Amino acid sequence: MNAASPTLEVRSLAKRFPPRNGQAEAPWILADLDFSVATDEFLTMVGPSGAGKTTLLNIIAQVDAASGGEITFRGEAMNPVSGTLKPGWGCQIGYVTQDDNLLPWRTLIDNVTFPLRVQGRLDDAAMERVTTLMRTVNLVGFERYYPHELSGGMRKRASLIRTLAYDPPIILMDEPFGAVDAQTRTALQQDLLRLWNLGRKTIIFVTHDIGEAIALGDRCLVLSRSPAKVVAEHRITIKRPRDLSNVYKLEGFGDLYELVRKELL
Amino acid sequence: MTAVAKALPGRRSLRAWIPAGRVALAVAFFALWQMGSEMLGKEWLPGPVLTCERIWSLVMTGQLARDTLVTFGEAALGMAIGGIGGALLPFLLRLSPRLMKALEPFLMAAFGVPKLALAPLFILWLGIGMPTKVVFVASIVFFLMFYNGMAGVLSIDPRLVAMARVAGAKHWVISREIVWNTTMPFLFAGLKIALPRSLSGAVVGEFIAADAGLGWYINNSRSLNDTTGVLAGVVVVTTLVILVNAALQKTQVRALAWRPMSRDMTI
Repeated sequence: MNAASPTLEVRSLAKRFPPRNGQAEAPWILADLDFSVATDEFLTMVGPSGAGKTTLLNIIAQVDAASGGEITFRGEAMNPVSGTLKPGWGCQIGYVTQDDNLLPWRTLIDNVTFPLRVQGRLDDAAMERVTTLMRTVNLVGFERYYPHELSGGMRKRASLIRTLAYDPPIILMDEPFGAVDAQTRTALQQDLLRLWNLGRKTIIFVTHDIGEAIALGDRCLVLSRSPAKVVAEHRITIKRPRDLSNVYKLEGFGDLYELVRKELL
Repeated sequence: MTAVAKALPGRRSLRAWIPAGRVALAVAFFALWQMGSEMLGKEWLPGPVLTCERIWSLVMTGQLARDTLVTFGEAALGMAIGGIGGALLPFLLRLSPRLMKALEPFLMAAFGVPKLALAPLFILWLGIGMPTKVVFVASIVFFLMFYNGMAGVLSIDPRLVAMARVAGAKHWVISREIVWNTTMPFLFAGLKIALPRSLSGAVVGEFIAADAGLGWYINNSRSLNDTTGVLAGVVVVTTLVILVNAALQKTQVRALAWRPMSRDMTI
């Protein structure tokens, strides 16, 4: 598969939840949503809170069903509307959720290796990769700690490398750095870019933070308020590797930021 | 000791007072008991010395071991049947939400039946031997374990389940990893109530119909106007409950080491 071919294609995707009591019809969360992601592309999607970003990722990850539309993954129709859901599409689609969702009764290292263990792939080579990831995100020394003994930033990093460790070809990320402070966030973003550079893969990264969307992505889609639609698309030409501590000073960042900000209004 | 605790001069000496305070309270309790006995007369309220003498003589004749074994056996068997059954049922009901909904009113109704009122029926069916008490205990602890287990199964975080499924976990892994670990603290909370209840259930069962056991001994002493015997029996049962609770507490601390709160109440 060459770099330009789409890994994942979403066509006229629509979603609404069952109506609540006294409601004749529930509002559409997603309507007529179209986009595609190329192999090894880092796609960011920026949209206001409540635009339906999480709902979109839940549907792609096959955690939730769609109400209409089609998704094609590597040329295979995923049938998100009527078919039985296959969460993770056979471990091909990784999903880093907004909450870290670490198992509270498992130590950090057992949490990170959990997918590899349930997939029966926890061999020496995998363990070595996990060790490298742990070192990259500065978690060495905390292997035997339980999640509640770790800081929010550490838990985030653990949930990030938990998905990277089993190496799914495409990874969805739902505001993974939403709940941490600004400094930690920059560090985590830098970690993510470093990891992505080590082994490139397809990423769909959803956020409400315009700066984050521009700083990380190859391409950025701007979503409207619910029902979510793609209102603009920007190719981000800031060259890599990017130093996130001063990405804001880089050529073209400021203009693009202003442009996206206006589109989101 | 942490740096903060060191920095506070009063802290350490205050903490050292706790064991001493406990000993003082225990001494005061026994002194009060002895005094009460002297004032009321030992026929009405035998003192601690008399009670201990009786327990000692029961130990020597081997009757204490026999009766304790009977009561403990009834409680243990009742727990094994009713407790394990009640703890496992929520896991089965989880597999079928429809069955759960269908069974709900019946389980509520069965929970509402006073088990003590059923005891005469158990005697008619099973006689006055051990099986009656085992069934009696089982019928009490079943519901205690079931309702706690059910609360645990219902509190499962669907986000963790979704995460595990995306990561490739099959049904069985989710049951073992997420359902079981979420429910375990609830089952321990259930055990904390059910274990003492199983012992007191066995004792009460023996009041009604028995020819052996601590409950039988207490009731038999009553019929002989032997207050010392009644009190000795009560002390032995209480000791048994305390020992069982301590064992449970030890197991729980080890099994639930991952929990943020390790300083559970020991009562």
